[in-house]
Amino acid sequence: MVEDIPRIGVFICHCGLNIAGVIDVKEVAEYAKTLPDVVHTKDNRYTCADPGQDEIRKAIKEHKLNRVVVAACSPRMHEPTFRKTCAEADLNPYFFEMANIREFSSWCHPSTPKEATDKAKEIVRMAIAKARLLQPLKEIEVPVTNKALVVGGGIAGINTALDLAEMGFKVFLLEKTESIGGHMAQLDKTFPTLDCSICIEGPKMVDVGRHPNIEILSYAELVSVSGYVGNFKVKIKKKPRYIIADNCTGCGECKEVCPIEFPNEWDMNMGVRKAISVPFEQAVPLIYTINLDHCIECYKCVDACGARQAINFDQEPNEVELEVGAIVLATGFDIYLPYDNPLYGYGKYDNVITALEFERLILAAGPTGGKVIRASDGKKPHSIAFIQCVGSRDLKKYEYCSGFCCMYTLKNAILIKEKYKDEVEVYILYMDMRTPFKGYEEFYRRARNLGITFIRGRASHVIETPETKNLVIRAEDTTLSQPVELPVEMVVLCTAAIPKADAGNVARILNISRGMDGFFMESHPKLKPIDTPVDGVFVAGACQGPKDIPYSVSQGSGAAARAATILSKKKWKIEPIVAEVNTELCRNTKVKCGICAKRCPYGSIEAPENQPAEVITAMCHGCGTCVAECPADAIIQNHFTDEQISAQIKTALKDNPEGKILGILCNWCCYAGADLAGTSRFEYPPLIRPIRVMCSGRVDRDFVLEAFKLGAGMVLIGACHLPYDCHYISGNARMKARMDALAPMLQKLGLSPQRFRVEYVSAAEGLKFAELMKEMGIQLKELGPETIKRENAMLKPILEKMLAKKQRKSK
Amino acid sequence: MERIHHAKTYKLTIDREFCVGCEICSLACPREAITINKQSRKDGEKARRPIADVDEAKCHFCGICTTICPYGAAQVTIDGENIASVVEKESFPQIIREITADATMCPSDCNDCEIVCPLNLISVSTHPKTKKVTIDIKKAQCPCCRICEIKCPEDALRVRSILTGNLKVNKEKCPSGCQDCLDVCPIVGALFLSEEDGKIYVNELFCTYCGVCRIVCPKEGALELSRSTIRHTPVRSGAWNKALEKLASTPGMTKELRGKGKKRTMEAVRKLLEPRKKENVRK
Repeated sequence: MVEDIPRIGVFICHCGLNIAGVIDVKEVAEYAKTLPDVVHTKDNRYTCADPGQDEIRKAIKEHKLNRVVVAACSPRMHEPTFRKTCAEADLNPYFFEMANIREFSSWCHPSTPKEATDKAKEIVRMAIAKARLLQPLKEIEVPVTNKALVVGGGIAGINTALDLAEMGFKVFLLEKTESIGGHMAQLDKTFPTLDCSICIEGPKMVDVGRHPNIEILSYAELVSVSGYVGNFKVKIKKKPRYIIADNCTGCGECKEVCPIEFPNEWDMNMGVRKAISVPFEQAVPLIYTINLDHCIECYKCVDACGARQAINFDQEPNEVELEVGAIVLATGFDIYLPYDNPLYGYGKYDNVITALEFERLILAAGPTGGKVIRASDGKKPHSIAFIQCVGSRDLKKYEYCSGFCCMYTLKNAILIKEKYKDEVEVYILYMDMRTPFKGYEEFYRRARNLGITFIRGRASHVIETPETKNLVIRAEDTTLSQPVELPVEMVVLCTAAIPKADAGNVARILNISRGMDGFFMESHPKLKPIDTPVDGVFVAGACQGPKDIPYSVSQGSGAAARAATILSKKKWKIEPIVAEVNTELCRNTKVKCGICAKRCPYGSIEAPENQPAEVITAMCHGCGTCVAECPADAIIQNHFTDEQISAQIKTALKDNPEGKILGILCNWCCYAGADLAGTSRFEYPPLIRPIRVMCSGRVDRDFVLEAFKLGAGMVLIGACHLPYDCHYISGNARMKARMDALAPMLQKLGLSPQRFRVEYVSAAEGLKFAELMKEMGIQLKELGPETIKRENAMLKPILEKMLAKKQRKSK
Repeated sequence: MERIHHAKTYKLTIDREFCVGCEICSLACPREAITINKQSRKDGEKARRPIADVDEAKCHFCGICTTICPYGAAQVTIDGENIASVVEKESFPQIIREITADATMCPSDCNDCEIVCPLNLISVSTHPKTKKVTIDIKKAQCPCCRICEIKCPEDALRVRSILTGNLKVNKEKCPSGCQDCLDVCPIVGALFLSEEDGKIYVNELFCTYCGVCRIVCPKEGALELSRSTIRHTPVRSGAWNKALEKLASTPGMTKELRGKGKKRTMEAVRKLLEPRKKENVRK
């Protein structure tokens, strides 16, 4: 039901004092009332809360509203909420539009309330202008493959897989190494209960191995992922083990005859393993692997294996393709090895080790049989110092707190103290002792009572005495405000948890982003901590940020529940903001064009000869690149049509265009980065008028021309970083190619180069966005309105001609 | 060179005193961890022996170099014990050093073998009272060059070469006045300089075919070396075949491989036939 005359309701949110503390909400509401087609305005303390939503629902009925605009926070936050509200009041959810006056105004301009209010008014005006042109859309339904892929077989992934399998879904558990288990399988005891790690994880690993609904794909890597929520196609490369899995009984006779030993990475290289072996006894699946990097191919193992015939040196890597409905990433973390830190002498001094190495030493099943000994002489140390925050909380390395180091240090200190009793002096050098969560503080108390010496202060450096290989730690005891020199026989560095080395690659394959710290970014830090911006892809465990075991386990189960919300459905609804071809305008019927088909990042457009191009809707991701590329303007993107965006441009530049920056920002990176600037309360001059598009690939050159024709002071196109950050694979690259051609032309026509900017800001770069705004503000001031007006006067007739020509053509 | 683990200590020593800088170990090493590096020299200096360097990151301490070195210069220890794991697990053969001395044949005043041994591995002692002669040979380092055998006036020593092959000097290519190969050759008498034409000649009777001469030779192709057989303990090993491939010349290798191949084919045929026989019986 499309009514001819729009009846717009505008709802302005106070957000407590978050908006109302800076912006005069009443004034904005009064202003909105004066705008054409607005029939109802209302301000609420919290529009998103139940009473606020209720008011919207009521107003739709009472005032026969057919468009709703909410001026509040970012649409990235509450657009889905209000769409639902509209739907509940029988209004098509796509008749809803959001004006972001919190992240884009009140939060980033707190010291200029007047300007902030003016900006808010214009943002509302732009939203209304777009709302007027909104069209009703119907969500697209796609079938769901009710199988899941869990990437990473650590404790988080194990729990996700088990939970999903128990719910009755088929689960593929992908593990890069030879065995599932992850870091937890490397640990000795776990805090705060001191129960043996592998004893509690081992049975879970076995459960995974035995579960009829779980298929473990070990020693395999993710190659590519295509498709969309409910319908992912995943390519996996299985590395050759040179062992026929079905024939291997795990007896280990081959290991006995193998002459080659190499450092066992799983043992933190403290022990050795054979060229044919399993990384540890409890490995699941229990299949041996030949490491050809080390094997000398004497074939003794072939003889030993004999009739079982499990060894096959001709194996090749093979690719498997899976179809799944949801993907859970549980790729975990790496432990920082401080080779690059010259102060603590790791890698240089024999008796300086990391905490994970210590873990392997004190483990009874470890390479030394549970003896904590020094590498230099194989003797028990009589004094051990643990240095905390190595890499963590270090502005030069990793800014964040790794979270679990305090606890594992306490655990290791207690273990060694309880093992060697009075024979060993134990010191802990710490910055702050962080022991929140259940039973942790009590654990700290236990360590205190054992007679462990706690020294508060960061160790400045460690020096080795060459003759004895003993070590001296220099530090400042900040509680006593005096320097200390601590002679010890062994130093354990409690190093940071860092993103997995290949996290960047995984992020690229799945099109998800990573934070400044390198860990995967969740959709929302509080409300969507398990979701990613890609529908159907979830994160669990330490790949999203350092986590201890209970936290990883709960998040693993959480991710299983989130994935089940998709897998349990037969159909999944997709946002209908897809592209459509106007078959009458399409040139492909007359000439060989097919530009859209070539430029679509997903290959979802077909342009057979002499026929109009066609968009395969289920494959279309809604970036809008084809819309901007089409030379005949024959493609539209629903909800982001040319008319809607130019209406926003026109409204934004109605008053004082010379003093404004028109920003067209992509939803995933630059707009999110700007949101973050607001959330972080970075203040910048209130010059930008933002227009949100899903992808910078949607930015038509006509938008830029139009903006300058209308006299814009500056135009900014904000995109994801090249080359890989684009959420639509290559939309940003297409935009760049387009704008690289446009910029010199505009300059030739007399435009100052600083007035047209293409910038790449990631979702994590709030600060960069704020700095960019400040920089552009200064440039705008330097240019001055007079210069801009003069340039615009020169440009206007030419731009008008260019735009008119286009319009004629399209008609 | 050492690799220390908390659990085990591995050590590889290449004794520069015994190492002549030949290529045998670097050819046999399955990890290509050993490189033979020529040493620089100043003008007028004699050529110096190349030096074998081990890449720590690549070495496995498997002990192949220990077993193959004709001069006994490489030594692997694990936790202080001399262990070559490849020998222990029978995945690599040991070379057979066959040198025996029958001291009963020796006259009490002769110590020619001690004098002629180019590597000073033989010591002859005569018991002051009984006048009984004992010959002590450091067998582990002996490359079996056979000089002592040939030079012994009483035929008391029996030596069999470890390696056999062919070493040829291409006279046209051999630069006059150069005697680098002669300078580095550990076996005095295996190479000699002709006074007539100033070129180098080979005495294949003594040559151990270690190949150090070819490494230092400044002119490519002036020295041609091929190895045809190597005396070793019997073993079935893929690693050995690979080492052999690199060590031996092609015809020699095919000979040895063919021998092995025959054995393997026979075994395979037998395996195939056995179940069939049983089936036939059942029928």
